[in-house]
Amino acid sequence: MKNIDSYTHVRGESVYLDDIPVVNGTLYAAVFDSPVAHGKIKSLDIREAAAMHGVVKIFTAKDVPGDNQIGGIIPDEELLASTHVHFCGMPIALVVAETDEAARVALKKIKVVIESLPVITDPREAKEKGELIIPSRTFQIGDTINAWHQCEYVFEGRADTNGQEHLYIETQGAYSLPQENSAIRIYSSTQGPTAVQRTTARVLNIPMHQVEVDTTRLGGGFGGKEDQATTWGVMCALATYHLKKPVKYSLQRMEDMRMTGKRHPYSSDFKIGLNKDLKIVAYEATFYQNAGAAADLSPAVMERTLFHCTNSYFVPNVKATAYSCRTNLPPNTAFRGFGGPQGMFVIEAAIAKAADALGISASVIQQKNLLQTGDEFPYGQKAESEANECWDKAVELYDLEKLQKEISDFNHSNKQYKKGMALMPICFGISFTKTMMNQARALVHVYTDGSVGVSTGAVEMGQGVNTKMLQVATNIFSIDPAKVKINSTNTYRIANTSPSAASATADLNGKATEIACKEILKRLKKVAAEEFKTSEENIDLKDEWVYANGEKTMWEWKRLVFETYFRRISLSEHGHYTPPDIHYDLKKEKGHPFAYHVYGTVIITVTIDCLRGIYEFDSVKVVHDFGNSMNTIIDIGQCEGGIVQGIGWMTMEEIVYDKEGKLLSNALSTYKVPDIYSVPKEIDIHFLATQKDNLAIFRSKAVGEPPLLYGIGAYFALRNAVKAFNPSADIPYDAPMTPEKVLMSLYHPFKK
Amino acid sequence: MDNEKTCPGHNETNLYASRRNFLRTSTALAALAVASPVIVKAGENDEKIAALFEKMPLQIEVNGMAHSLSVEPRVTLLDLLREQLHLSGTKKGCDHGQCGACTVHVNGKRINSCLSLAVMNEGKKVTTIEGLANGDKLHPMQEAFIKHDGFQCGYCTPGQIMSAVACINEGHASNEEEIKEFMSGNICRCGAYPNIVDAIMDVKKGGQSL
Repeated sequence: MKNIDSYTHVRGESVYLDDIPVVNGTLYAAVFDSPVAHGKIKSLDIREAAAMHGVVKIFTAKDVPGDNQIGGIIPDEELLASTHVHFCGMPIALVVAETDEAARVALKKIKVVIESLPVITDPREAKEKGELIIPSRTFQIGDTINAWHQCEYVFEGRADTNGQEHLYIETQGAYSLPQENSAIRIYSSTQGPTAVQRTTARVLNIPMHQVEVDTTRLGGGFGGKEDQATTWGVMCALATYHLKKPVKYSLQRMEDMRMTGKRHPYSSDFKIGLNKDLKIVAYEATFYQNAGAAADLSPAVMERTLFHCTNSYFVPNVKATAYSCRTNLPPNTAFRGFGGPQGMFVIEAAIAKAADALGISASVIQQKNLLQTGDEFPYGQKAESEANECWDKAVELYDLEKLQKEISDFNHSNKQYKKGMALMPICFGISFTKTMMNQARALVHVYTDGSVGVSTGAVEMGQGVNTKMLQVATNIFSIDPAKVKINSTNTYRIANTSPSAASATADLNGKATEIACKEILKRLKKVAAEEFKTSEENIDLKDEWVYANGEKTMWEWKRLVFETYFRRISLSEHGHYTPPDIHYDLKKEKGHPFAYHVYGTVIITVTIDCLRGIYEFDSVKVVHDFGNSMNTIIDIGQCEGGIVQGIGWMTMEEIVYDKEGKLLSNALSTYKVPDIYSVPKEIDIHFLATQKDNLAIFRSKAVGEPPLLYGIGAYFALRNAVKAFNPSADIPYDAPMTPEKVLMSLYHPFKK
Repeated sequence: MDNEKTCPGHNETNLYASRRNFLRTSTALAALAVASPVIVKAGENDEKIAALFEKMPLQIEVNGMAHSLSVEPRVTLLDLLREQLHLSGTKKGCDHGQCGACTVHVNGKRINSCLSLAVMNEGKKVTTIEGLANGDKLHPMQEAFIKHDGFQCGYCTPGQIMSAVACINEGHASNEEEIKEFMSGNICRCGAYPNIVDAIMDVKKGGQSL
């Protein structure tokens, strides 16, 4: 089934935050943010700005009626800085004016004097100075200390990955409207409407039931609007609360890039030990997460780094420790993969280092250590593995031997151009790692004309979740898709939602929708059974007709619905779902945190130009564990998009802050995201279709984040290509591998 | 007039300020020429007076409909479309001409509407995404984007489609390489690029006049 938003998307009729028709009297907000990364506010002078034409009011920390606090996991982030600033871009004042232009002109007239304090941008330095967001955590299995003796080979090293700007093409924004009795409605471009609602209530010191948050769709989220969308919703609500006026704020691109956090950069140390059969016996890793100035989602991201530190491999002895380090950068946040990719990069670096030293292909080590069903992850869960199936299928289907030979031949006969290849198996756990968040609700109404309205906690951001929700309702009622409408995500209809994140949105909300639809279906069948004097089991609904004992009856769907209503039976249901059997013991760092895992293998090939350092990805060949895909069009789209984004992270997307914590890569001109040229020339995606039972909706496994992990292979393919040109190249494990870095590493040893 | 000729490059450090200053200078001259002394005397509030003077008449045809407007010279074509004509199909992604989400056709040529001032389009014909379909009947490029799943979140889609139509009309869609070159100004963060190329190839092969 095609994305249900297709028609409005291509006509420009899909409504995003900035497209909502504004109400008369709407005011416009803009944030005055800190020009320095760390300091004490000595004075803040808003008088001149406040007196400017068109300026209605300027709000500062003093105007917050409740708790001046937006930290979700840890209350360590002020909405508006009161005494100190902790990062460049930290909001200090909120200007509200009659026009957007007036608000922005006024920003330039605000004067702030800040006494500078020392700035930290490096996570290792933060750790040295004891600047940690939360105490460190360690995952452990077996006994690494004793295991080193059993190792034939031991290698140590360091691996670094940079951050990644989300660059959703729709910038952040919100629009709040005053309602009667001091309630506030907020239209928010957020992945987490409840987070906006909860935080607004806290900041304004009003009950949550006074705050309605409504989200139709996002022009991209990728994690960047999970927690960081909250700020703007609360800002608008704060102004609406005081002024009783509608207030809108749609961020400019550079404001967005400057003020919001990104994917966490990590710096890590690793030690890997293998026996003579190349089985990984022991693995130790220490992760220094660059959390930025406040917790945001960093503790949860750090947790997932630990969960995925062994990627798709079984390692009997593991000790992995992670530090969430406080620096003076914007608070880093969720980004597709959520710490998982950062953890996996490190073990891939360790394997590559071992392979280099042993003079073999990394794929030999990778293949020998893939997870088998029953193997235990360092956190105690037993794998139900498809790792070998994906790997073997990829090797066979894409003829790895032939590919290797082609590359070797090419490299022998070419001097200026070299090819490199890498395999990358992936494994990603599906569920929020915080067990409590794994719950969802759906509200289904069947109207008397037979049309159906579905509301869930899922936010549509291009991942096609609404299409999947519609498929669930359509499938269970066996009705035409045109009869079903998926409504906006609204906290008055669905309460206490988890954000649309963790790849789990379709599963959780889909199951809740399934439960609600099935309950209504049960009632409908009961009515039909009475009418046709049979039992409910003998009633079927097929293509909008009622069948009794296998015979088509005179009742079509609409009649059945009306007869049910006529008998005063409810045609509405609120479904609640929580996946079974997931649990986690934080004290022991053991449990069964994931409903299931998604597996896959990619073979990536790249050609580098050894004169210029530039490169082109020839092919990306994937075997991906989709389970039983309920929507192949959407799932392939997610796969391709994730790959492109992952390759972007590993190759061209380079975030640069200066030593003072100022973002230099602050626009599309200085921060390069994949354009149409960056797409690999060939992307093959093979569905590893499995009929095994799992906890996914309709057994269609989650697909949002896992494909991004394939991008990690791009880094190692590039590395191998450089090695083909210069076998003695000393290439640090430091992503992204920009063309500049490729060029430098090609000739590195010749430098004096 | 092309964007390249009128916009002083990609000066992202403060495009907003420079655009505004440029306009202030140029419109002050225009204002001097037309202002009556009476109005000048009333000028106690600079901003109000500035706004009064800065409005300029603009005749422009948008999606086949003639408009007689009064606009501030600093207003971009993008903002005119979105804020004044309420055609929100054209999207603002960066406002710096770097993402392509605001692509529209002016006299049949594609431009980034964020880099064109509204008043520069005097007497011109503008087509936006809203003007592409014929009532309920979709334009072949719109059909092709649906057929090939050329989007995910949909935000860059109007710009992609407007660009894609122009790409073919310019004769820049004879093969995949050429399409890539001439579509490289439109960013899709969801990464639907392969499908966008397929959609354009499909329309090109269909040979319909666009």
